[in-house]
Amino acid sequence: MFRRSHVALVAALAAGAVAGCGSESGSGSASGDGAKKAATDGGGGEPIKIGFLSDCEGAFGSFFEPTASGANLALIKYAGAKPAGEKPTDGVTGATIAGKPVEIVGYGCADDTADKAIEETRRLMEQEDADILIGPLSGDEGIAVANYAKEHPDKTFVNGIAGAQDSTLKVGAPNFFRFHPDGAQWSAGLGDYAYNKLGWKKAAIIGDDYSFPYTSLAGFVAEFCAIGGQIPKRVWAPLGEEDYSSYISQIPKDVDGLYVGIGGSGLISFIKQYEEQRGRVDTERMLGNVFWDDPLVLKEVGKSLVGGVTSAMTAADSDSPDVAAYIQGLKDNYGDEIAGAGPSVFTYGYYTGMTALIKGLEAAGGDVADQSKLQAELAKVTLSGEEAPWGDVKLDSNRQAISNVFLKKIVEDTTGDGVPDVQTFARVNDVDQTFNGAFSADTPAPDRENPKCEAGEAPPWVGQSEDVSFGE
Amino acid sequence: MQQFVTVTLNGLTLAALYFVVASGFTLIFGLMRVVNMAHGSLYLLGGYIALEIQTRWFTSDSGLGLSLSGKSDAEYSVFAWLIPLVLATLIIGVIGVVLQQVFLRWNQGQDLRQALITIALSVILADQMLAYFGGISKDIAAPSAWPTSITLPGEVRFGFFRGVVVLSAAVLIGLGLYLIIKRTRFGKIVRAGVDDREMVSALGINVNRVFIGMFFLGALLAGIGGVLGGTMISLAPGQDTAFLLNSLIVVIIGGMGSLGGAAIGALALGLVDAYADVYLVFGDLDLTNYSIIVTFALLVGVLAFRPLGLYGRPA
Repeated sequence: MFRRSHVALVAALAAGAVAGCGSESGSGSASGDGAKKAATDGGGGEPIKIGFLSDCEGAFGSFFEPTASGANLALIKYAGAKPAGEKPTDGVTGATIAGKPVEIVGYGCADDTADKAIEETRRLMEQEDADILIGPLSGDEGIAVANYAKEHPDKTFVNGIAGAQDSTLKVGAPNFFRFHPDGAQWSAGLGDYAYNKLGWKKAAIIGDDYSFPYTSLAGFVAEFCAIGGQIPKRVWAPLGEEDYSSYISQIPKDVDGLYVGIGGSGLISFIKQYEEQRGRVDTERMLGNVFWDDPLVLKEVGKSLVGGVTSAMTAADSDSPDVAAYIQGLKDNYGDEIAGAGPSVFTYGYYTGMTALIKGLEAAGGDVADQSKLQAELAKVTLSGEEAPWGDVKLDSNRQAISNVFLKKIVEDTTGDGVPDVQTFARVNDVDQTFNGAFSADTPAPDRENPKCEAGEAPPWVGQSEDVSFGE
Repeated sequence: MQQFVTVTLNGLTLAALYFVVASGFTLIFGLMRVVNMAHGSLYLLGGYIALEIQTRWFTSDSGLGLSLSGKSDAEYSVFAWLIPLVLATLIIGVIGVVLQQVFLRWNQGQDLRQALITIALSVILADQMLAYFGGISKDIAAPSAWPTSITLPGEVRFGFFRGVVVLSAAVLIGLGLYLIIKRTRFGKIVRAGVDDREMVSALGINVNRVFIGMFFLGALLAGIGGVLGGTMISLAPGQDTAFLLNSLIVVIIGGMGSLGGAAIGALALGLVDAYADVYLVFGDLDLTNYSIIVTFALLVGVLAFRPLGLYGRPA
């Protein structure tokens, strides 16, 4: 109900109400006042200019600093940079790659809409003259930036954390790279878990009405239906909706479970309003997507989510020394609050993206005048160890990551900070974007109705997820 | 059945919020013929001021304050909600008076010019609020002691703040306004002014003072709406235009200047909105995505048969 597009409607009505005055089109447009240039002082020669694009407004605006911290940490660890201030978006100084100084030309701020993302991309690439873009954050933005990349083959684009399937599978820009799994891949293993472990036969899904949740829920639908599950109801609410009451009342009660694909600030409203309407969040009948165990979400509504199961590429409880080193790196440079958001896919996606970019640039000798060499090297980059502490990453022929995914349960607090914890119980290895051919460039893009719920050949990881137990 | 009751309650509570905001809008218009296009900005600003007071006085925040709802997990007493409510409402009332005295007073009677001035103000306010409060949606916290939900007969659960506080606030405000308009001297002048402004001033009544009072009251209602809305739903950029639009629809349906019309208009908008979101499904054809269109169909329908709105009278 409360959407930005109302501006035009208001203008139209206003015109009527005052007998024909002109139309107004003022929407807020603050272009990231936190965005500062990071001057460089080391190295010589023409600098490598990198534009950073994330969201500081809209449903995911709270992730602006965490995403910047991820990208900066990669520069600090692998390019000798130093933080230029207390906030990640204050920038970094002294980064060099292959002997060339690196300049972050700006921390671009979008608001989860495609048009704002393109406006900021244009500013960074055309006015600030960046050679390479890292970003964006959200699904629709990612598809738009991938299309922009296609029109600008002489520049290189490394995705931030936008998870819509189309940006790599459908758009196919040869200069657009995504070093993390997409939304559907993040859901891998959940359909298997719901059908075979929880015994769900019929499930409903609810999600935000745009490309990322379509993708996220598509992963679940493809797997759950392939092995025999049914999806009788799909409910879609606008992204950033604040009043979910009418959507909650549409969730059927005669199903075995519900997969929730609502994200960002909307998830907080959804959880609170679900509690109001149904008494409690019946987590034993629910699965959540990548947002459920995000540190920011756990901090605010975690207590309501205890018992819920979710999946994604990070696992906060991991006991791997590489994970500890990554978190410690964030802590040393930006303090506890930012480090607390380290296990968020938002921080991590920008970290792996920037790390891969640094490796690609090193291999290409820092040449950004002719980027075909950089692009060829990037396609070959693999990440392991501290470069990708939650699991090795390699790219497929669509320049899309193949990696592993963790299944996790949200459990009562054990560390004494009052915030529920994450307990990882399984890992699904080598998850690829196509789900063994269920998704291809020719299949319909995930949307409100697709993929259809059809029994068929199960993805290869069904029944193959590996039991994991950290810290024991 | 349960679903129907819940959806109806959703509609009623939305209507309650729309009524609080739109009543101020319609009263100002009725008396002064000013279409205050900054009314939505006053709504949002009221919410933000309350939030600011609540955060500054009643919580201790530190660090970057990374948060998806802009709220810390502190305990909130009843005062931590009531004091921001009262202060923010009064501040918005005063802002309304300043707006009227500084920008609109010398343009009395020039409808178009006043509308354009208030549009300009709303655009400026929107950008200033975005710059200061950021683009992330934020909630005002309700007192922690209040229950989250109530259970109605028939196992229907509904949010306490939304179902009890907002609904009773709207009823009380409606009654209060009715009494002010029908039983006080101020109300008499307002009613007379709605019918014939020139005659009222010719009778020696200080119209300027009445205008100040009216603008104070109208803006105050927008402020209360902002605090209620900010607690019930949340505050975010763009809600200023959304609530201005809602107010416009409400008063166009109900008739400009009529309090009863605002109540009927708000009910119609709230219920149509809530039902269309859920019941616009015909077999396999799911049109809930287009529910907003039904709202405008309602508007068109009313205007086709009663161009002045259900309770509107010629100026």
